[in-house]
Amino acid sequence: MTEILIASHGHMASGLQSSLEILTGMGARVQVIDAYVDDSDYTAQIAAFIATAKRPAVIFTDLKGGSVNQKVVLAAAGHPDVFVVSQMNLAIILAVLLDAEPLSAGHLDDLIVQSQVERITLTDAPADSEDSFLS
Amino acid sequence: MIAQLRVDDRLIHGQVALVWTKELDTPGIIVANDNAAANEMVQMTLKMATPTGKKLLIRSVADAITVFNNPKASNMRIFALTNSVADALKIAQAVPGIAGINVANVGRFAENAKEATQLSATLMLTASELAALKQLATLDVPVFNQVVPSNAKTPISTLLKGH
Repeated sequence: MTEILIASHGHMASGLQSSLEILTGMGARVQVIDAYVDDSDYTAQIAAFIATAKRPAVIFTDLKGGSVNQKVVLAAAGHPDVFVVSQMNLAIILAVLLDAEPLSAGHLDDLIVQSQVERITLTDAPADSEDSFLS
Repeated sequence: MIAQLRVDDRLIHGQVALVWTKELDTPGIIVANDNAAANEMVQMTLKMATPTGKKLLIRSVADAITVFNNPKASNMRIFALTNSVADALKIAQAVPGIAGINVANVGRFAENAKEATQLSATLMLTASELAALKQLATLDVPVFNQVVPSNAKTPISTLLKGH
């Protein structure tokens, strides 16, 4: 299983952890950083994750170019098996958490493509048939 | 064969689509629900919730029983869903060989939830649902409560003690 750190401005990271726990019961499998909710220096926690996490590992951040993302990118530089993903959402974290394949950059990119935000439209699909279901 | 019959008042949703279909390795999902079978909007939302690569069939409870008992269905691992214990009981009484019945999420959206009997954090049963559950527990099928796979499987007989 891929080791995961989620880092955000404010409580988004622990909020995502709460959602993961409700959906999968696996909330404790991820580490989280809620940055700037107090005056503590969260960069030590990023460094500790990179120092101790089994590889491959993924660090999810909330906003590309935001300070949390910048701190993570700097800390992860020189660790090619620690992937940094920004613009995170619940879908991509679930996809990585539940994925059974060993994580490569290419496979991670596939999961990202399948986890995009999208506008929902409901379309009439043809009626399903018992024969095609059971074949 | 029915790999699991799950009672869940949300039918197909995050826990079911993402987690359980992987855990159970079921290529087919059958929603047995009279309202869904008659309501196109509900059908569209269920289709949206179905994971890529999984087949979905939405039928009334009576029609779903016919599908479960189709000889071809014995070769396929099927994940069956109802949104009430009463519907699950009808299926369990009419379909042999169900591997297990998971009474997972019931009663949160019921109109008279305040009068319900609470058996666990996710099971709030009206009098008629409670009666159906007691009957379900007498059948020769494992009946349990397990919301997500990382939870322990709690036998329903344990939750029913004292009720």
